Amino acid sequence: MAIASGIRDLCKNPAAILSHYRDSGVKVIGYTCSYVPEELIISAGLQPYRITNIGADVSALTPSFICPFASATLENMVRLEDFFDGFVVAHTCDPMWRLYDILKKKISKPLFLLRVPHNTDNELSFEFFKLELIRFKKFFEENFKATIDENALFSATRLCNENRSLLKSIYMLNDNGHFMINALDRFPLVLASMWMPKPEINAQIKTLHFNDSKSDGSVRLHLNGTSIYDMDLIRIIGESGGFVASDDLCTGSRYFWSNVEESEDPISALAYRCLKRTPCPSHGPIEDRLEYINFMIKEFRAQGVITFAERFCDPILYDSVHIRNMLSKNGVATTLIDYENATQEIGRIKTRVEAFIESIGG
Amino acid sequence: MSSQRERSRVLQATRKTGELILEYFSKAWDAKAQGKPIAWITVFTPVELLRALDIYPIAPEHFGAMCSARGVALGYFEEAEKKGYSQNLCSYSRCGLGYALSGMSGLMPPPDLLVTFRNSCDVYVKWWQSLHMHLGTPLFVGEAPYVLTLEDLDNYVLDYVVKQLEQLVKIVEEKFRLRFDMERFVNIIKLSDRASELWLETLKLRRSRPCPLGGRDSASDIFPLVIMQGTEEAIRFYEELLEEVKKKVAKAEGIIENEKFRLLFDGIWLWHAFDLIKYFEDRGAVFVYEPYSEAWAHRLDASKPLESLARKVLAMGLNVDIDLRIERFLESIKEFQIDGAVLFSNRSCKSWSAPQLVTADILSKKFNIPHLLFEADMADPRQYAEDQIKNRIDAFLEVLGET
Repeated sequence: MAIASGIRDLCKNPAAILSHYRDSGVKVIGYTCSYVPEELIISAGLQPYRITNIGADVSALTPSFICPFASATLENMVRLEDFFDGFVVAHTCDPMWRLYDILKKKISKPLFLLRVPHNTDNELSFEFFKLELIRFKKFFEENFKATIDENALFSATRLCNENRSLLKSIYMLNDNGHFMINALDRFPLVLASMWMPKPEINAQIKTLHFNDSKSDGSVRLHLNGTSIYDMDLIRIIGESGGFVASDDLCTGSRYFWSNVEESEDPISALAYRCLKRTPCPSHGPIEDRLEYINFMIKEFRAQGVITFAERFCDPILYDSVHIRNMLSKNGVATTLIDYENATQEIGRIKTRVEAFIESIGG
Repeated sequence: MSSQRERSRVLQATRKTGELILEYFSKAWDAKAQGKPIAWITVFTPVELLRALDIYPIAPEHFGAMCSARGVALGYFEEAEKKGYSQNLCSYSRCGLGYALSGMSGLMPPPDLLVTFRNSCDVYVKWWQSLHMHLGTPLFVGEAPYVLTLEDLDNYVLDYVVKQLEQLVKIVEEKFRLRFDMERFVNIIKLSDRASELWLETLKLRRSRPCPLGGRDSASDIFPLVIMQGTEEAIRFYEELLEEVKKKVAKAEGIIENEKFRLLFDGIWLWHAFDLIKYFEDRGAVFVYEPYSEAWAHRLDASKPLESLARKVLAMGLNVDIDLRIERFLESIKEFQIDGAVLFSNRSCKSWSAPQLVTADILSKKFNIPHLLFEADMADPRQYAEDQIKNRIDAFLEVLGET
């Protein structure tokens, strides 16, 4: 069963939903990264909305050598400020961290920087992050006169857990060499989960049923990178004879892989999940990340790994050396394709993808 | 210009830094031979703590700057790039990784420990993780959350850093069977504080007209404050420097003749094009203030050594909120009677460069300070368009002359 056309349209123009929120009187908080716990935003009675680079060029407020994704995200925050009631930026990589500096001087809406620790395996980080989340909670209480009690947090956690579990159950349909769900159906569901009210997207996902399709000779691939909102990048892989069996993207498995424990201490549970979730290249020991990628490749029987990297994305560019070294030891083919503007460079990117898939027998 | 007049543009004390740096690296090899653990650190790591543990700290960033200044960095860049590191990554890191991947038989002995603090950029962490992956050397990554308000220097943020310093001590003690000596640590903190005090006093004298200490001095004179903190040698260096600068002030002798423009420099110096400072000086422009020169100068309280050091780790360099940094900019403009600002948009330091356009905008529109913003790389000469930059400097100085 195909996903609803409304979701596909939303992926092309996610900002469209912002007008709907404004007309309905829904207060919206724009956030930049999956380390921001949506649970806290929802429990404050606000709608979380993940800011993307869709529809924006790089910002004139950043130098030319800054990650174009971060720069275009900034552009969208400034351009669309009127649709938002506040913003949350997470300290992940350098450009995302420094977006906070720039935004502080350029927007008037309440702005919060969530200081996410790099160290994910240190008890001290956990203690610090709990207090940081309490500061985050206060931000909503002070700026939006919200009352966030344990019940509200508990329900928001359950709602987000349900969403993550649904997304994961669909994702897992492709394990052990199955070809049940196409990435062009799978990724939009994740993206829509970041923009739509959770009850609505959860209800839509529950209506979906997928049938196993036989392998058509496509080469099973694992997709490595950060955030991919441009579905053309996914489309060209399919057109080139590839099948995205798994990924470790922030707009993919990293968003939903693990749930928050529904405990009596919801803040601690949120802090724990944030630090123990699938790491992004800016967090945690690199060994954990390599282990996760390796696990994904085995579980989903990927024959090769494509890394899509925004040009100037430092974390991916450093990690790619170690990912390649690990994979070459394990006999898994890999390629790194970088770009500044995927839309403008789609022809070149496709040629690289085709050549890679061909080289591993596609 | 005669070579004699040219020489007078650099202080006597500054001329000794080259030797001091080489000696510092050379002593690292001696320490290694004596079985002392060598730590490769990023420059905002608390060296005082490592010194108290009898660990010898060296900074690959210094190595990168030196290689670039001496024109020998390219080989290391190419070595790292051959192994897959993109040319778009920090040039210090490419130089350090290239060195690590090509045998480590030069200035820096191989590390026994890798220590970094995430208090200026995330590149530090990725670079150190990469070294750890290639060399298999134990890695300690410390956190210093971004200081959003001065309250963070007293609340749970400070507490987090203090506890990590204690954790670092414990790890090093266990790993190398070393003992942390509190008395020694307190003494090192006192020495470090004294060096910072001397350096801050020296920097204040740059308020004088004409300015007694220029950009070429400050760029080199910072070295002992970064890596030799807590040593008697650092104190001796800064005492000598302060004396020399005081004498110049007393004689109303500037570092350049005919001082016309007093400038602020924002960024890391271009080590491969160090003569760019001279280009300004030849045209009557002297650098009187750089945030870079203040980045390591922090007063420490020996009665609260660990807490005091944690505050330093937190408040170093780029780890404080943009409003606090801009506030310091504005104070310095008044304090040092600055006519214009030069902002170096450094391809290698995205953390520094990212908000510079916003800062430049505030300088011009709100405070009417003319500025020049140019793009290049601090250590990689392949990213440097000399003629174009010099053209822009000429135009900038022309504007200053008209204001």
